[in-house]
Amino acid sequence: MPDPIRENPTALLSGLREILGDKGLLTDDAARLVYARDASHLTLGRPLAVALPHDESQLRRVVGLCRAAGVPVVCRGTGTGLSGGAVPGNGALVVGTSRLTDLGPVDSLQRRVRVQPGVLNDGVSRHASASGLHFAPDPSSQSAASIGGNIAENAGGPHCLRHGVTLQHLVSLEWSDADGRALDTGRAVSVERGLDLVSLLCGSEGTLGLVTSADLKLVDNPADVATLLAFFPDLDDAAGAAVGLLGEGLAPVAVEMVDQAMLLAVEEAFGFGFPTDVAAAMITEFAGQSEAVAEDCERASALLRRHGAREVRQAADESERAELWKCRKKAFGAVGRLAPNYVSMDVVVPLGELPGLVREIQVIKARHGVEIATTFHAGDGNLHPGVHYDERDPDQSRRAHAAADAIIRAALDRDGSVTGEHGVGIEKLHVLPWQLGDETARLQRGIKEIFDPQDILNPGKVHPPADAGFAALKPAPAGIDFHWANLTVSAPADASLAQLQQSAMERGFWIPVGTIALDEGVGLGRGTTVGNLVAELLTGPALCPGGTVRDYLLELWAETGDGHLFHAGAPVFKNVAGYDLVHMLCGSGRVWAQPRAATFQLRPVPECLGYWRFPLPSDELQDVARLDRLAEYLAGRDGSLGGPMMIVDAQSARSVVVMAPGRNRPWDLDRIEKDLVNLLGKPTEQIALPFNRASEILTDELIGGWALNSSDWTFLSRLPGDEGGSNFWPAAMRRLIWQSTPRLVWSPDPTTTFPGWHADRFCSEGLVLPPCAPAPGVPRDFLKRMKILFDPSGALETPRWLEGQDD
Amino acid sequence: MTDPRPSSAVMDVDHLDELLRQCVQCGLCLPHCATWLATGNEVQSPRGRLLLLGELIRPSDTNTAAASDAFLQAFDQCIGCRACETACPSGVPFTLLEYGQLRATEVPPLRSGLPVPAVPGAVLRRMDQTAFLGFLSRVGDLVRGVLTVVAGKTWRRRLAGGPAGTGRLVRLLGSLPTSARSDTELVKMLDGLCGRETQLVGGSPNFVGLEIPDHLPSGPGVAFFRGCANAGLLPGTSRRLRDLLSASGCRLEEPGSQDCCGALATHTGRPGRAADLRRRNREAFAGALTDGTVIVAEAAGCSHELKEYGDDFRTGVVDAVVMLAGLDLPPMGSVPLKVAYHDPCHARHGQGIIDEPRKLLAAIGGLEIVEPAEPEVCCGSGGAWGLRYPELSDELGRRKAADLAATGADLVVTSNPGCLGQIADGLQVIAPDLPILPLTDLLWYAALLRIDSSRP
Repeated sequence: MPDPIRENPTALLSGLREILGDKGLLTDDAARLVYARDASHLTLGRPLAVALPHDESQLRRVVGLCRAAGVPVVCRGTGTGLSGGAVPGNGALVVGTSRLTDLGPVDSLQRRVRVQPGVLNDGVSRHASASGLHFAPDPSSQSAASIGGNIAENAGGPHCLRHGVTLQHLVSLEWSDADGRALDTGRAVSVERGLDLVSLLCGSEGTLGLVTSADLKLVDNPADVATLLAFFPDLDDAAGAAVGLLGEGLAPVAVEMVDQAMLLAVEEAFGFGFPTDVAAAMITEFAGQSEAVAEDCERASALLRRHGAREVRQAADESERAELWKCRKKAFGAVGRLAPNYVSMDVVVPLGELPGLVREIQVIKARHGVEIATTFHAGDGNLHPGVHYDERDPDQSRRAHAAADAIIRAALDRDGSVTGEHGVGIEKLHVLPWQLGDETARLQRGIKEIFDPQDILNPGKVHPPADAGFAALKPAPAGIDFHWANLTVSAPADASLAQLQQSAMERGFWIPVGTIALDEGVGLGRGTTVGNLVAELLTGPALCPGGTVRDYLLELWAETGDGHLFHAGAPVFKNVAGYDLVHMLCGSGRVWAQPRAATFQLRPVPECLGYWRFPLPSDELQDVARLDRLAEYLAGRDGSLGGPMMIVDAQSARSVVVMAPGRNRPWDLDRIEKDLVNLLGKPTEQIALPFNRASEILTDELIGGWALNSSDWTFLSRLPGDEGGSNFWPAAMRRLIWQSTPRLVWSPDPTTTFPGWHADRFCSEGLVLPPCAPAPGVPRDFLKRMKILFDPSGALETPRWLEGQDD
Repeated sequence: MTDPRPSSAVMDVDHLDELLRQCVQCGLCLPHCATWLATGNEVQSPRGRLLLLGELIRPSDTNTAAASDAFLQAFDQCIGCRACETACPSGVPFTLLEYGQLRATEVPPLRSGLPVPAVPGAVLRRMDQTAFLGFLSRVGDLVRGVLTVVAGKTWRRRLAGGPAGTGRLVRLLGSLPTSARSDTELVKMLDGLCGRETQLVGGSPNFVGLEIPDHLPSGPGVAFFRGCANAGLLPGTSRRLRDLLSASGCRLEEPGSQDCCGALATHTGRPGRAADLRRRNREAFAGALTDGTVIVAEAAGCSHELKEYGDDFRTGVVDAVVMLAGLDLPPMGSVPLKVAYHDPCHARHGQGIIDEPRKLLAAIGGLEIVEPAEPEVCCGSGGAWGLRYPELSDELGRRKAADLAATGADLVVTSNPGCLGQIADGLQVIAPDLPILPLTDLLWYAALLRIDSSRP
């Protein structure tokens, strides 16, 4: 049956105008021309019109109307994307978010803020600066890029080395599906279990839904920052130095690099006065407590020199530091001075492969006779070679694209990914099949069909054709397999986690999840496996800095309900090649797929653990205020070595234990102790011991009661020998829960009463927990269809809420 | 001697095309562009305008007529603040492209192509005449007085109902500080803010003047460029600047045959008049240029426009703020206020003047400088632009006023009369208790405090 609106766009346009008003709908030629492009220089056609909704409801109604009319919708932030993700095809409606710019109040206790998608990345940090906080993802386009765009592409940036990419800074999202329904990802805290829709939507490039508001995590501004600038006469040496920095167990917040060609462009643009006769310039930044920063800088300088740096200088003050970063962040724009066109690339390889890839790019450059200028997020193994050409010269243009494809092949040969942070868009559609396996691509297409059956949300992006000829399945590891140069470890699902962690710690690294048994017999999560860690999202009593294993899981092999083995992700620190099945499935139990093997990122292990016990006075109200202050202090601590934690004594609630990982230096734990004494008075007990002996104090008795995961503001509980626990929970703590996290309230039976409640998680010895039911607002119809996609015969566990008809 | 603009430079399509290809479409210009910030419409952004220009000179389809109309409209709505040029990492010469297009294509000259709505042409044509502006300024005082009596504090809102451009013009004039002419008013106002009472001595309170010490060594020679708006609308400020220059040892001369710099004529699409004014000023300052006398222009808009005359003027003309910052100013008293400086685009983007005004403020004892968010974004005055696009201009003025008010400042200062009126108007709506003054007035007051206290 012919659709009246589709036959006649005037009817659609008048419907849209009714929703948006005259000023909210642009139909003129100028708008259609301008909005046909973004920063990628790619085009598909001319959009039908441009909608600029000024509230979330307008946006949803516009999407719903387009769905009804069968007209494609392309969501756009500020058009700073480099892969053509926001480029519309002929006749599509562009929905711009530039007028959705509301910023909620900063919650400085929970370190969160809710924003609309049109708010600019920089704007969030400016907004939070009065609270001493900032939004950590910092793509070079951050002054102009919108949060909505950052989420759609899962944007990275230099400081993602320490803090992680955009995904790791999202708590939850509100979004509109293709029907214009108001939906929620339903995640109150990032350690929540279940199929993680935040991970799925983040990086989906507007093909599954449109984000209408985002609850963002903020991080504390560091007490001290130091930035080193090093010049290398040899590019290989520079790449080797980047690997060396991290391999030595240093924890820089950023390791950035530009090659000579890029340095020349930046020099011409800004005249910083850098030497231009060097092969590479590298920026290394450390942040945190002054003494630690000073010590790290000293070690790093020596290391950089050892690796062949000709000169290492430190930014003298904040303005010099800002200049250095300006040089790095404006490098991209400065390439306009080098050539009229360039292929902008975004390959990423395992860290240890960086020097090899750098050498191979030199060969490719010579073989194809092209000019290449490169910027590197060197610490992440992510690089942006820009292959120059002039589109007016067809031969040059052909050679440039051939060289670009050769670089991508080289990265994939090294177990890398075609894109670390720019996204697939339309630009990388032809190379994505070189990376993705058949089964993975089939699942990704299946997800798209579930969320957008009519294919109206940003069609033609992300998904290569079904017959594209996908890559062979990558073999899963047979045993625990450390890749020390890459700082990763792969292991099959049945490998012992304790054994993995012990081997890692012998070399000074670990997967920083506090769950982990430090030996087989004692402590948390004993006897658990790698598969369990991934499936159940086991979280520890806060010795983890950023949150959960989701933040360190890079690669996953899993089996669908009907027995298809698939592989998702890559052993690299950043990867946005297609939907993020790895993190979507992490923590989803064994409802959708069975984990078979996984690759994790390794981080430096803390040197020691401090332990203090303070008495609590009997006055309940005073307790709450003091614990609040303590919690706020702990949440603001630098988490590079693992966040500190507090535990209110389970037995009496008359004392509080604080534990903090740190360095084995007088200035580190002493500083914390001084602060704690100021807050709580004199401790009754204090211990400092090497970190690998932490299990001596992490006894069942201690952790059996209360733990406040200070870095994630999650309350964890396990009440030994107490089923309901209501008599056991001190009134003061109950109040604290109410006050601090209104979305997580106490209940005698939290796992059934409160969806998403993850009590009992961290020390569940052999305990199998029922999968959480999704929170209100999470589309159960989608989840049910996802279940059919992953487990068509119902061979895997099926919780009750997944059965029956769509609600 | 080259004028970057096409009135004297020839630019062909190929050259334009080359320049345009420097734009990598990165979009970093967007948040610096006032019209994009106000509308959220990328057609009203530097990148959008350049994409349209590209379409115009290398058409990808046959619809160039439509593109050229859209282009005209988009470029007409550009304020010309040049914030995008400061922001652009690729160094795209936006203004050059904007003007270059006019020469290279058949499109009729833009600035004369579209009429200024509502403001009568007769008024507009005389906007660059000092005497007329002086008259307008007094009319503004009168109108404000009458309107306040008749309509109370809501006069601003009521004016919104009138013909847009005219209502806005009257409103802006009515917003200029009354201290612009009267020293007594200025001292009273700043005394009030500081919580002190300065006794004015020496003749008419309106012409206190700064005493020029006899022992000063002979300083640089200065040829003073009055500027029509300052002379007409802010005669007191103009005099105070001369006071400060003299008190710092400058030997002041004021070539009598000087005229408006021509910026307004250019903005309102009268290139003939602009060229005529330029010729007259060239004659008036020919002597200064040859004997190395510094030409000091008071308003940032004037110094910017004069520098565009050519290389000789670019090196010979110094903005008053830069001049003052390089002089040994008379000793200053303490002004215990939080002060926010608003950067006029003509200074910040046109001439790269950022540190100098802050250095001048930092020299005043007891004063705390506070920085507003988005200091690089235009206030939306734009000379005649604000009269053509009153709604957009109002929105930007209020946005700027809100940013300035959010600093917690006690006082805002700036150094261009257009910005002064625009922000004063915005502040009336956003933060009526936050005053704005020319930077010169604050410096003069601080110097006066010391002189006053040293007098018997």
